[in-house]
Amino acid sequence: MPPRALIRERDVREAYAAHAAELYGFAVRSLGDSGLAEEAVQETFLRAWRAGERFDPQIGSLRTWLFAILRNVVIDLGRARAARPTLAEGGVEPSVEPLDEALLAWQVEEAMRRIGEQHRRVLVETYYRGRPYAEVAEELGVPEGTVKSRVYYGLRALRVVLEEMGYED
Amino acid sequence: MKTERCREWRDSLGAYALGHLSPEERAGIEAHLEGCAECRAEADSLALVSSLLPHADPERFGPPPQPPAELGDRIAARIGAERQAGRRRHRLRLGLASSGAVAAAAATALAVFVLAGDSGSGPEQHLAFRSLPPGVKIAATLEPRAFGTEIHMYVKGIRSGTLCRVFMRGPGGASISAGTFRYRWGGDAAAVLSSALDLSRAQALVVRAGDRTFVAPIGVSDTAMYDKTQEVTT
Repeated sequence: MPPRALIRERDVREAYAAHAAELYGFAVRSLGDSGLAEEAVQETFLRAWRAGERFDPQIGSLRTWLFAILRNVVIDLGRARAARPTLAEGGVEPSVEPLDEALLAWQVEEAMRRIGEQHRRVLVETYYRGRPYAEVAEELGVPEGTVKSRVYYGLRALRVVLEEMGYED
Repeated sequence: MKTERCREWRDSLGAYALGHLSPEERAGIEAHLEGCAECRAEADSLALVSSLLPHADPERFGPPPQPPAELGDRIAARIGAERQAGRRRHRLRLGLASSGAVAAAAATALAVFVLAGDSGSGPEQHLAFRSLPPGVKIAATLEPRAFGTEIHMYVKGIRSGTLCRVFMRGPGGASISAGTFRYRWGGDAAAVLSSALDLSRAQALVVRAGDRTFVAPIGVSDTAMYDKTQEVTT
């Protein structure tokens, strides 16, 4: 059963066990530094705990909520790191677009990790490496129709996993 | 309606969504989609999934890095400390409200609306200066140290080269210098300063940037400070 709110220290421990690895993975990906990523994950759980009463599973999953907090933490860390007075110099606020792009990239990459190896393999070979179906079929020792079929079921599996992760288009 | 023809085309829908079919195959499947709402819905949904693929980096499909094993314990320890600090802060707040120390001294006439940045601070405290001039951001993190207090200052949006002087205000309004720094465009993220005043005794952090003065009380929670908006005058 998902926690109703993140109030007790035990709730935080459970949330950590379930989501810390993924949050950390994204933090490393977007910050490019394991030390900063640890800091970001720590700050994320501290903020989650402080705001624990406001978490409402009716609105969204715990995972989505934690990622939203992490996103803000990464923005804050990025700003502190850059600390450039862009406004005074006539510039604009640092864009969060690269971060949101990274977040989307992470979702798709995580979904790819969660689908079966066979499905991931054909998507990587045919889509990302752009190899002909016949060639991939020969390498895998299966008929070409099987590769085609795995591409279809791979995309379907990806769709299911993305839905489970709370992706909304 | 599911027909024999649907089954025939279904397996090609993935390759179709990825744009991998030959023109002849594509024409064939599109003719079928024209007349089959069910397959069309499936094709649309797969098109959406395939539109996400370019965002991912296939080099990153392997296992992601794992956080260090002790990170969870560290976070649990911080939360425990914060719970305790929350009780201590509550007592401090009561003391501050009666002393009126925040209003006591400041350099220039300036309406400041200051409040502590993070509602629940642990051993270290995060201060944010609010109601600053548009585009200006000042924040500080204070950490208790054996020698007194370590201060990390974050400044943004003020003129490059501006001299900033930092003071900590102790009991009775006495100001203790925490040093100076000069804000440089594109410079380091934070200036690290120190003060001999113990964080537990500090009542406010004062920053003089050029000829303007900004004050943030220490050890006071968000909610308490909403009631403390005030004009600070010389």
